Amino acid sequence: MKKYQLGEFEEVVMLTVGILHLEAYGVSIKKEIESRLKRGVSVGALQTALKRLEDKGYLKSHEGEATEERAGRPKKYFQITALGKRAMEHMKSTRDELWSAIPKVALNLKIVGS
Amino acid sequence: MVRGEPPKYFLQFFRWFCHPDLMLSIEGDLMELYRERERKSGKTKADIQFIFDVMLLFRPGIIRPAEGHRNLNSYGMFKSYFTIGWRNLSKNKGLFAINVTGLAMGIATCLIIMLFVVDELSFDRYNAKADQIVRVTLKGKVNGEIIKEAVTPAPVGPTLKTEFPEVETFTRLRSDRAPKLTVNNTTYRKIRVAFVDANFFDVFTLQFAKGDPATALAEPNTIVITEDQAEKFFGGDDPINKMIDFNNTGEQYRITGILKNVPSNSHFHFGLFGSLTGIPHAKENSWLESNYFSYLVLSEGTNHQNLESKMPGIIKKYMGPQVAQLGMSFEKFTQNGNEIGLFIQPLTDIHLHSDTQNSELEPGGDIKSVYIFTAVALFMLLIACINFMNLSTAGATKRNKEIGVKKVLGTNRSQLVQQFLTESFISTAVAMLLAAVLVGISLPLFNQLSGKALEVNFLFSPKVLTALVLLMLLITMLAGSYPAFFLSSVRPIAALKNKVANGGQGKGIRSVLVVFQFIISAGLIFSIIIVNQQMSYIQNKEIGYDRDQLIVLRESNLLGNNENAFMNQIMSDPRVESVTMSAFIPAGPTDQNMTGVYRGQEHESFRRTILYHVDDQYIPTMGMSLIKGRNFSKLAGIDSLNVIINETSAKTFGLGDNPLGEILTLQTDNSGGKKSMTVIGVVKDFHFRSMHETIAPLVMINRRYGGLIIRTKTTEIAELLTNIEDKWKAFHVEEPFSYALLDELYNETYLAEQKMGNILKIFGVLTIFVACLGLFGLVTFTAEQRIKEIGIRKVLGANISEIVSLLSRDMIVLVGISFLVAFPLANYLMNMWLQDFAYKIDIQWWVYAVAGIITLVIAFFTMSFKTIKSALANPVNSLRSE
Repeated sequence: MKKYQLGEFEEVVMLTVGILHLEAYGVSIKKEIESRLKRGVSVGALQTALKRLEDKGYLKSHEGEATEERAGRPKKYFQITALGKRAMEHMKSTRDELWSAIPKVALNLKIVGS
Repeated sequence: MVRGEPPKYFLQFFRWFCHPDLMLSIEGDLMELYRERERKSGKTKADIQFIFDVMLLFRPGIIRPAEGHRNLNSYGMFKSYFTIGWRNLSKNKGLFAINVTGLAMGIATCLIIMLFVVDELSFDRYNAKADQIVRVTLKGKVNGEIIKEAVTPAPVGPTLKTEFPEVETFTRLRSDRAPKLTVNNTTYRKIRVAFVDANFFDVFTLQFAKGDPATALAEPNTIVITEDQAEKFFGGDDPINKMIDFNNTGEQYRITGILKNVPSNSHFHFGLFGSLTGIPHAKENSWLESNYFSYLVLSEGTNHQNLESKMPGIIKKYMGPQVAQLGMSFEKFTQNGNEIGLFIQPLTDIHLHSDTQNSELEPGGDIKSVYIFTAVALFMLLIACINFMNLSTAGATKRNKEIGVKKVLGTNRSQLVQQFLTESFISTAVAMLLAAVLVGISLPLFNQLSGKALEVNFLFSPKVLTALVLLMLLITMLAGSYPAFFLSSVRPIAALKNKVANGGQGKGIRSVLVVFQFIISAGLIFSIIIVNQQMSYIQNKEIGYDRDQLIVLRESNLLGNNENAFMNQIMSDPRVESVTMSAFIPAGPTDQNMTGVYRGQEHESFRRTILYHVDDQYIPTMGMSLIKGRNFSKLAGIDSLNVIINETSAKTFGLGDNPLGEILTLQTDNSGGKKSMTVIGVVKDFHFRSMHETIAPLVMINRRYGGLIIRTKTTEIAELLTNIEDKWKAFHVEEPFSYALLDELYNETYLAEQKMGNILKIFGVLTIFVACLGLFGLVTFTAEQRIKEIGIRKVLGANISEIVSLLSRDMIVLVGISFLVAFPLANYLMNMWLQDFAYKIDIQWWVYAVAGIITLVIAFFTMSFKTIKSALANPVNSLRSE
């Protein structure tokens, strides 16, 4: 089913925007991902993902305050839209379904075996 | 805390490529990160990471779209202007066609005339030193005769160079009009040869195909020929070092160079340029004989008047002593009212401003016609633009509703103006293309009429193309501005109610435009009538001899001793009435054989006079009439000391009512030889020059001299000519038989006038056509405006003729007003033109009437298309909507 398209990195970004709630903008999202997932995120990759998500309608944005720190440039805050929320729920439920479909034996054995 | 700036160029690069919507927030993020990193790990690391970030941002989602996103709005607007414009134009195909045709004709005429004018003005400009080269002319008055010569004595050039430092160099040209050449055992005649000084090609920038311009003519007996001439003489062979025999002088000339052909916009066109080096008369120090065109190269910034003011000194110093040798001191010579001066004429003035037409190498142009044509071109363009305005306005009144709706929906005025300008641009562009096609088609015809060799290619040079594009924009503005500004000012409510703005102020302007157009049209019709009258006056004027049925064999003198036999053979033909042996043809600028003549011993009456060498058959054959005395006798020798003079001579030399038996003294050579001769007859004045000049004194002496003139009494001229040709061939002359008809020679004299008449007629028709388009547009406009009025009038019982006259009345009044300006103006201009003729018509009152009636009829006829249609229309259609 191709109803909701969400790549891995996109999902991470969506989740992070969710975590940050009203404080999600470029730099804060980048730092949150970096600190939680211990992986480097380039501004380019992040911005591309944000733009794509916005184009898909999963995120919406509004301009915020401009600080001296940012050389007078406004922050762009992101929020998850209703569509975005559904997409995330869809992802989670498909994952859960898949998880639950795995025979317990297989998992356990593997765990034991390793 | 260090507060550095991120790498400037990368920031600029980012700003350049980034999508504008994202730019500000991302730049903010970048700056925030930069500050933080700068705090944590120093500027260098922060810089490097900044660069990385920028580079990684350079990816599809972030880069701005290629399409200029800022122009998006106005682009769409223009697209809409074009679409709506095109739809409107194609909805009114008829009006569009008339409009574009009118404009295209205006532009095409203007372009052709501009080609002509530019060509006329470009004469001799091809020379690199065009602005420094001048020609010396000789002007003055000797014994009452005005002298205006472009040729000067041989020593003038060298003398001026040694006397004046501002004369950098000089070069001379002597034209040999009738050489007989033998090349490769073939004899050629009528090839014009120039003999020039060795430095001629330093002064004039003529391109060499072969040979060295600097040395080609340095040696005696060398000659340079043009490519065309080389082709004629040698076909494909290499002409270099081949010989040309000059049979008249017995000299041989060696070809040392080949010239590219002389540009068409040059005041001379020779096929051969021989060297003056080694020709004795070029070195002679004779100031009394003028044969050389003398050109000087002046140093830059030389004041011509200043140089001219020093010339009288030169004349006195050099010419004075030689005049004294003739028996009259120079002081006495000038006291007697004689004057001779040298004058400076810029090279670039020769073609259009020359006042020495009689001795020019080639007939020049006329600055007056350049002015007239430029004026005509501008008028044509202006009229076409005016029409375009009128017709567009007329067509656009139907669009009031559209304008109203647009305005209500918030279109502002500038957008409407742009809309109309776009439409005017579309029409202009189409008209421009059509005009280019028209120019291409009509240029050969124009070349034929004007005797030019203009080429269409000229239109495609970058300069001209730029000018054309500018012209197109100018016309768009000129032609489109009025409808644009007038119609966009309509109030939306009035427009929606379809109450056409009655254009109180617009009507005034349009009326002026119509008057202006008809001033030009009526003026042209008037001028055409006058030119035609004058031409037919020239054709039909009593010229003092009978020019019909005369065949001229100019070259029969080539038969030498056989000429008499040939003449007798022709005479024996029953179709021939009489034959005379004389080379003197009284038509056009044929013979300038002049000699000094005075009465008895009275030197004071000295006058240079035309001298005809004729035999006893000349006067009867030409159909001239003797009014006193007798003709020359058949018997040879009897009349060798007798002359026949024309009436003007009798008056000029003061011979009174009975000149018979009076003595005239004729100079027989330049070194003082003279003969006293008795007047035995007076011939009625006949025209031997064009009607531009009054009849000059003329003297005939009895001497046979080359050429035959045959009077025929048959209508089968062609057959007779074949027979004569057979006889000619029987004498085995190398020269092919050639002849001319005197009637044709006579008409050739007025070629310029005929050309002008034809061109005037064509432009007249074009102008009138375009003016009629304008009138048509205006009547359409009025008829649209008054459609309801017409409907009501019809319902109340008005008949068709009343409505037609209702619609036409205003226009006819306007046309009438235009006459008030047109006729005095045209009268003034045509009088100026007629001033050039010594014999001319008077402008009569009926010409005004005829020109006026023709104009009115044309105007009324044009309008009738629309007026009758409006008058016939069913009133229901126009009244129903109220």
